[in-house]
Amino acid sequence: MAWGGDDDRRLDADEGEEELDEADYKTQKDAVLFAIDVSSSMLQQPPATDKKKADKDSAIAAALKCAYQFMQQRIIAQPKDMMGILLFGTEKSKFRDEVGGRSSGYPHCYLFTDLDVPAAEDVKSLKALVEEGEDPDEVLVPAKEPASMANVLFCANQVFTTNAANFGSRRLFIITDNDAPHGKDKAAKSAAAVRAKDLYDLGVVIELFPLSYEGKAFDVSKFYDDIIYRDPATEAGSSDEVKTSKSGDGLSLLNSLISNINSKQTPKRAYFSNLHFELAPNVTISVKGYMPLHRQQPARTCYVWLGGEQAQLAQSETIKVDSATRTVDKSEVKKAYKFGGEYIHFKPEEAASLKNLGGKVLRVIGFKPRSLLPTWASVKKSIFIFPSEEQFVGSTRVFSALWQKLLDSDKVGIAWFVARENANPIMVAIIPSRAMDDETSETPYLPAGLWLYPLPFADDVRNVDLSAPPRPADELTDKMREIVQNLQLPKAMYNPLKYPNPSLQWHYKVLQAMALDEDVPDALDDATIPKYKQIDKRVGGYLAEWKEALTEKAGGLMKSRAMKREAEDEDVSRPLAKRTKPAAPKKAAGGHMSNAQLKAALEQETLKKMTVAELKDVLASKGVSAVGKKAELVEKLEQWIEENV
Amino acid sequence: MADKEATVYIVDLGESMADCHNGRDESDLDFGMRYVWDKISTTVAASRKTWTLGVVGLNTEETNNAQDSEGLEGYEHISVLQDIGPMTMTQLRELRSSIQTSHTYGGDAISGIVVALSMIELFTKKLKYNRRIILVTNGESPIDDESSEDVAKRLNDSNIELIVIGVDFDDADYGFKEEDKSRGKAKNEETLRKLVEQCNNGLFGTMQQAVEELAVPRIKPVRPFKAYDGALTLGDPEKYKSALSIHVERYFKTKRAPAPPASTVVVNSEPGGASQSETLNEDTEMGDAEFSGVKHMRTYRVNDPDAPGGKRDVEFEDLAKGYQYGRTVVPFSESDFSITKLETKKSFTILGFIPFSSYNPFLNLGETGIIVAQKHNEEAELGLSAFIHALHELESYAVARYVQKDGTQPQLVLLKPNPAIEDDFECLYDVPLPFAEDLRSYQFPPLDKVLTVTGNIIKEHRLLPSEDLKQAMSDFVDAMDLSGFNVDEDGKPTEYAPIDETYNPTIHRMNQAIRARAVDPDAPIRPPAEILLRFSNPPEKLIEKAKPEIEALIDAAEIKKVPAKAQGRGSRKEPVKPLSGLDIDSLLGESKRTTISLDNAVPEFKQILATAADDATIESAAKQMGQIVRKLIQDSFADLFYARAAENLRVMREELISLEVPGLYNKFLTGLKKSILSGELDGDRREMWLKHIVGGHLGLITQDESEVSEVTDEEAKAFAT
Repeated sequence: MAWGGDDDRRLDADEGEEELDEADYKTQKDAVLFAIDVSSSMLQQPPATDKKKADKDSAIAAALKCAYQFMQQRIIAQPKDMMGILLFGTEKSKFRDEVGGRSSGYPHCYLFTDLDVPAAEDVKSLKALVEEGEDPDEVLVPAKEPASMANVLFCANQVFTTNAANFGSRRLFIITDNDAPHGKDKAAKSAAAVRAKDLYDLGVVIELFPLSYEGKAFDVSKFYDDIIYRDPATEAGSSDEVKTSKSGDGLSLLNSLISNINSKQTPKRAYFSNLHFELAPNVTISVKGYMPLHRQQPARTCYVWLGGEQAQLAQSETIKVDSATRTVDKSEVKKAYKFGGEYIHFKPEEAASLKNLGGKVLRVIGFKPRSLLPTWASVKKSIFIFPSEEQFVGSTRVFSALWQKLLDSDKVGIAWFVARENANPIMVAIIPSRAMDDETSETPYLPAGLWLYPLPFADDVRNVDLSAPPRPADELTDKMREIVQNLQLPKAMYNPLKYPNPSLQWHYKVLQAMALDEDVPDALDDATIPKYKQIDKRVGGYLAEWKEALTEKAGGLMKSRAMKREAEDEDVSRPLAKRTKPAAPKKAAGGHMSNAQLKAALEQETLKKMTVAELKDVLASKGVSAVGKKAELVEKLEQWIEENV
Repeated sequence: MADKEATVYIVDLGESMADCHNGRDESDLDFGMRYVWDKISTTVAASRKTWTLGVVGLNTEETNNAQDSEGLEGYEHISVLQDIGPMTMTQLRELRSSIQTSHTYGGDAISGIVVALSMIELFTKKLKYNRRIILVTNGESPIDDESSEDVAKRLNDSNIELIVIGVDFDDADYGFKEEDKSRGKAKNEETLRKLVEQCNNGLFGTMQQAVEELAVPRIKPVRPFKAYDGALTLGDPEKYKSALSIHVERYFKTKRAPAPPASTVVVNSEPGGASQSETLNEDTEMGDAEFSGVKHMRTYRVNDPDAPGGKRDVEFEDLAKGYQYGRTVVPFSESDFSITKLETKKSFTILGFIPFSSYNPFLNLGETGIIVAQKHNEEAELGLSAFIHALHELESYAVARYVQKDGTQPQLVLLKPNPAIEDDFECLYDVPLPFAEDLRSYQFPPLDKVLTVTGNIIKEHRLLPSEDLKQAMSDFVDAMDLSGFNVDEDGKPTEYAPIDETYNPTIHRMNQAIRARAVDPDAPIRPPAEILLRFSNPPEKLIEKAKPEIEALIDAAEIKKVPAKAQGRGSRKEPVKPLSGLDIDSLLGESKRTTISLDNAVPEFKQILATAADDATIESAAKQMGQIVRKLIQDSFADLFYARAAENLRVMREELISLEVPGLYNKFLTGLKKSILSGELDGDRREMWLKHIVGGHLGLITQDESEVSEVTDEEAKAFAT
């Protein structure tokens, strides 16, 4: 599932009433079929040049590489979603079991990978074709006559109908460089248009990825405008326009295509629709919610049955049993709360009324300057909202006015937010994001709109009283400034796209190697590891100076503290003097013991009288590992004193 | 671990406590017990062995206390109702029955305090405890104040806090004064007030205030948890001499507090099945209860074409662990298992810096941490401080890679300086950042312009705000400013709804209800406390103040609600056209489709309905579609075609609803159910019925969904079994 792995998964056997999060649309699965044109122009190798960023791939190679990358990403990010590859215009034809040139119902269509959740073999054969150029079946041979597009579309129709019958999202990605596959043949064009309408009625969305090279423009009006439909619900000016991939501007054809396909990687799924956004009494518009940010986790382990010919996934089923291991029927189960060793139970209607703190809504209670958001006020990911005209005409313009005002005045909205009926209410700050083409945008990789930024409740704030006293800035600060100034991240911003998750990448890299029977890689190119060499080169000198200054300052502070302490000790030692036995090292301040005190304690053999907590404090303050039993701790401390004092 | 507690409640049960005063419709006792029950039930809820309490009744008929037994005078009509100890539900119930008003008034409150004091001294010995006595009385019965100084001294010596909460006691600070107070009560109030004043640790208050404050949620204190203790580095200290390393500690600053978890339970089949009482946790044993917990048992099945139903059970012991790679399962042996785990070493190291202005907080992916220098480490203290100040002065954040301990997943975090300008606390805050995989690229149209199909940019459009609307919105937002809306104690404007005043309504609503139910199982649920819903609406005063701006916004926005009817599909849709606007139907012309094929059922069905001119055509289409569904089910090898059949059903259902002929669907489905259950579609097809039709919400079309349907919600539910 694309949305698998909830943030708040808890491993409690006793399932708590988890917050409804993404469960709602987990059934919404996505199926993508690549239809790639195999023609002589697609197979043409680009002219050889010395230019670094020039194309090295033929169009077909670029398309297949994209598909390969898409497949790998899908396995990581959307492990329940399907994908397939249909080559068209091929000399050979293949549809499922029927192989051979003539018998196929879809001539010049070659179903290279049937639509399914990709298996290791699919990855393997695609990889062989892409990376090694291995084409034992000679599939990449163009037919003498072009394929009928009506046939291609109907073939796709059948693939979707049988393999992804009830998927919420089904998309056909057509990659071609031919803007007029049927020239002026009206009958063939009409037949294709009819089959395209079938796909539309079936609920399949066609995404066209036109390729253009050598300055030849791709004219969608010649053919594809009759094939492509847009959801009438999307308004004019939607960004769903067809983008032609081409090389140039320092971008190879491959990179251009990858970026166009990546933008369609995940189908746009709303997290909630038709939420009422109340700006004020009688000012209500409707919005849809999305989750463009979501922590991706490696898939969980599964259980495998090895008894058969092939390793097989064991499906688990849970049954509920009572204390006498009698199977319990669903109707018997009740929800109760543990309280003082017993269960407190509410009737279903009572439980419902307890949950109900108001219906689903996003209601503004006012606005604040952004500076009033405490920097630490963060608890979980934000949700993106965008207006929808479905329930309130005028939603978009009001939303746009609010968005612009919040940007202009650097303000945020404060709102009460209930995402769905019975969801737990939270407080959110409404924060605007700038347009992607706005040069001042902090997040040029995210769309313009409003974000619901969850605010912590008072209950979520930990009271950390570590009493680190403020210190004035001094020359150490000045020196540090040089270092900070010289180590800016590229483009002076954090761009998540530059930092793949190393754990996730490693997990799937190893898994892929094992699944494909390849050698397990021995290292990962981890972008999250700092460029140490560069740091040394750029600020090594400053760092050395700074460290020297620090040592000196710290030495000074240490001395002044020791003096202060000794003065205090003298004060304290008078009343203590009444005691007859030798004073154990001063209690309340384990970590505060001066070296002199420690030495005295060592000589008088009173270290043993310290408590474990005190010992640990002292050891930690000296940077010695404070792990072990008391005797070991004493020994460690003795050793430290002998070596250092 | 929280400190140990020993609390004794002294509750006045005198005759006068049964009366109602000052316009209340509950007795003084019930009023006072609202406070006491709340406190006691909080202790019960905590289920801690070390949180102990006892209860002493004042003005009881009987006399039962150690002092009286020893023959001391002045301890009559004081009874120990419960000795100090941990509190359970059973004891709570017993206590409930003994909290009844008596017909006496001879007990002395100060003697009651002595009884409580002795109980605490005896119980806690010299151990470390938070000791507390809470006295609840209406102060009507006479008090002998002779020994009050000695009592105060003893309380102080034993380090006991004394809290006196009086029903209708005067409290100038809170602003309560009882008119027509009896002289005796006034004297007693004075005596108790003096006693409290002599205590090092005392509190004297009126019940009104105490009850009012019960609604203010109490936040469960959590001890700071040290998540990291080690070096924060810049550069690699192992390879480069220049590298910098500061010893820091990291704690949580925010952590989402969970709502009380519900358990799944069943009603005990045999009453008194207490022999199998289940241990809840180390501290508490389940009592003899009405409910018992439910356990989960897992069974595992694999596909097996030879087995009946195509599946068979396998033993857990025969299974290996593995991961899924696409649809391929990759088994791992126990020794190989960790190979997919990235090897990491505990570390916290800086990648680089970014300006404040290039970061937007909505990227924050989770809870905040707090970073301070290691204690008593001068180098770390000074170093971190300089680092914090440098970041602050340069308005920069640091991006760092954080590995909490060896083997955990690396995270990228943003380090934010807090140079102790608004508070006295110098530290770094950190928030988790997203990785590349955590971003989904969704496309949205721009909000400040409209792009036409031909690529032109339009700046004036119905989807874009007019200048009037922009101005109205700007005025509205400024009028609704919360930053100075509140007024503090000194009358200065302060921020409205700061975080420390927003309580999680879910948690506290639940906790309050659970406590109330525990104390009185028969009482109805009270509505949520007002304070919990305080921020669910804008403050009325603000709305009042911003009225002109709101009116202006309404005028400029011209929002129109779409009528409910039009939101649906209506009876006839506009024909859908491709980008070119080509009319596909006219293309088909003569060869208009009238029959539905199995292969292309959904499009053909939709197309016939879209152009159907009469009911007969619709009926015929529905009939053909029905036959296809039946055929798919009948021909399905195991569940192979079920999804497809279900999809066809779904389309059929949806289309027939929008054409307002639900009867056609309902009639077909009734017949289909019969066929499936009777086995006439080639064998056992119940899975189709239960999983795909019932589970897929493809049941009968009800009146809620289509006005012309004759099926009620109940009938549809009964049908879907």
